Amino acid sequence: MRTVVIAVGLLVVGVLAYGVMAGGIGSMMHQDWDDANEEYEAAKNAADLALEEFKFAESRWENNGSQEEGALYEEYLESKAASDEATQVADDAHHHQVDAHLSYLTWSTAGKTIMVMFIVYAAFYGVAGFFNSIKPDEEEHHGDDHEEHHGSASPIMMAGGILFFMMGFPGFVTTCKAWLGLDYDADLSGFALSGFGTILLIMGIGNWWNEDLKGHPEQVATSHPFEGQDIRKAGMWIFLISEMMVFASFFSSYLRMRTGWCTQWAVDAGKCSVVDTTTASDLLRNDIMTLLPGAINTFALIISSYTIVLALKAAKDVNWEPSKNALLAKLFPSRKKAVRNYLLITIALGSLFIVLKLVEWSHLIAEGFTIDSQAGSIFYVATGAHGLHVFIGLLVMLFMVFKADTVGYDENNGRGIEYFGLYWHFVDLAWVAIFPAFYLY
Amino acid sequence: MSEEIYTGPIAGLFQKMADMIGKDVYYVNFLILMFFTLFEVAAVFFDTIPGTDIVITRGAVWAVLIIVGIIKGYGIAAFFMHLKGDPFIYTRTALFPVLFVVLMIWGIGLSNPDGIDGLPSWCTPNWDYSYVTE
Repeated sequence: MRTVVIAVGLLVVGVLAYGVMAGGIGSMMHQDWDDANEEYEAAKNAADLALEEFKFAESRWENNGSQEEGALYEEYLESKAASDEATQVADDAHHHQVDAHLSYLTWSTAGKTIMVMFIVYAAFYGVAGFFNSIKPDEEEHHGDDHEEHHGSASPIMMAGGILFFMMGFPGFVTTCKAWLGLDYDADLSGFALSGFGTILLIMGIGNWWNEDLKGHPEQVATSHPFEGQDIRKAGMWIFLISEMMVFASFFSSYLRMRTGWCTQWAVDAGKCSVVDTTTASDLLRNDIMTLLPGAINTFALIISSYTIVLALKAAKDVNWEPSKNALLAKLFPSRKKAVRNYLLITIALGSLFIVLKLVEWSHLIAEGFTIDSQAGSIFYVATGAHGLHVFIGLLVMLFMVFKADTVGYDENNGRGIEYFGLYWHFVDLAWVAIFPAFYLY
Repeated sequence: MSEEIYTGPIAGLFQKMADMIGKDVYYVNFLILMFFTLFEVAAVFFDTIPGTDIVITRGAVWAVLIIVGIIKGYGIAAFFMHLKGDPFIYTRTALFPVLFVVLMIWGIGLSNPDGIDGLPSWCTPNWDYSYVTE
């Protein structure tokens, strides 16, 4: 029941954010953009007209011998000044039009992103909480030692779910397109396979939620090289190895392509003479306003890495005491609430990261930097894969907030935060490489 | 998470700074990460060093990005990911994929048009390029 209430709350927040940001402010910004479009059209027409008049005056003056005196010369100078002024007005109107468009995109994309994220958060809470509520509190025991860990089917269920989902994904996409009235044939078998995978994945998540919430003794590795170490920690590091390889492949692909492109950077460095490729960093790094989302995201991830360390510290600190600072004491009144609130701050920062990333993407796409080009493809795939990792981390953190709020984390079960923290720090570490390579270089 | 005392040339420096300001190493690490992020953004954003006429060259920016990346990577991996206090097997595990990353970078170098005859002299000790240029 608690999860359902939280899910409804999240839905309300998401819809409100959409209403205020995309519906309210976004609509006003759209109106400004429309006005700016009209102003630009009018200014452009006036500039075209002034240019025509100038050309006419110029030809008359030239036909008269280009003498620098007399009425025709005066008319030539006046029409030239008028044309220059009209062109300047049109340029200003164009800049205003672009600014208005980007402002509209900022609010609209932010509102839509927050709504979609909160719908997913609500669905995650609702579905996983439902699975949790229908499981019996006490598992049946079969004469085994109660303290012994029995292993879990959840990872296999989730992996199988992802496998089937991906196998059926092309069919899922074409079926959706066919249902949307586009010129595609529905592939119902692929759609069904993908749907089955989704259900299996959700059941796996629900099962894992239930198992982890109840708690269990930590399994310890008994053989070399991790002998004596927690299996979950060793497993997390093995998982991170594979993640490093994924990001290294994106990174090396980018570097390989980048060294072959003649970018503005390469021209400035004297490597080539004619720019043949515009990278995202060419569009982002030269203006503080375009670089700002990426820079804020970098700080957001670093701060979130620190807040998760603070959550772990609070969970493991048996002598935890509220801060002497009144504000901090209010924010973190007890050890249990401190862990929960540090995790909530981490979620807020991670959510900010996703919102700013999509706002930045919307600006880049509006400027014509799309996934159709080689530079766009590697940029969107690499930063998108990173964003997906952040988003998956946020979903896991939703569960951790629920656990922190109900069961609570302490020195005995705080390892969950530590192992998740490894993943979250890795996501931060990947950004340490992606940010300079894709935004600054 | 016990309050560990870090030793060694770099981690010990972090520990000394933490002791100086009366906070833990995580806090110092957090401040260092924030500072160096500002530093790398500034290195790219400014054409000259603020207040001077000294031009920040592309080579200098490259150097800043790589050095700052290494410092930030060390801070996150050593302290936030706790590799500095954990058994060495975790560091070995984390470093394992670096082998493949090095191989990939090697591949990038070899497949680059400049990868054979465009290398700087310090990187080509008396190599014979006759088979390339013939």
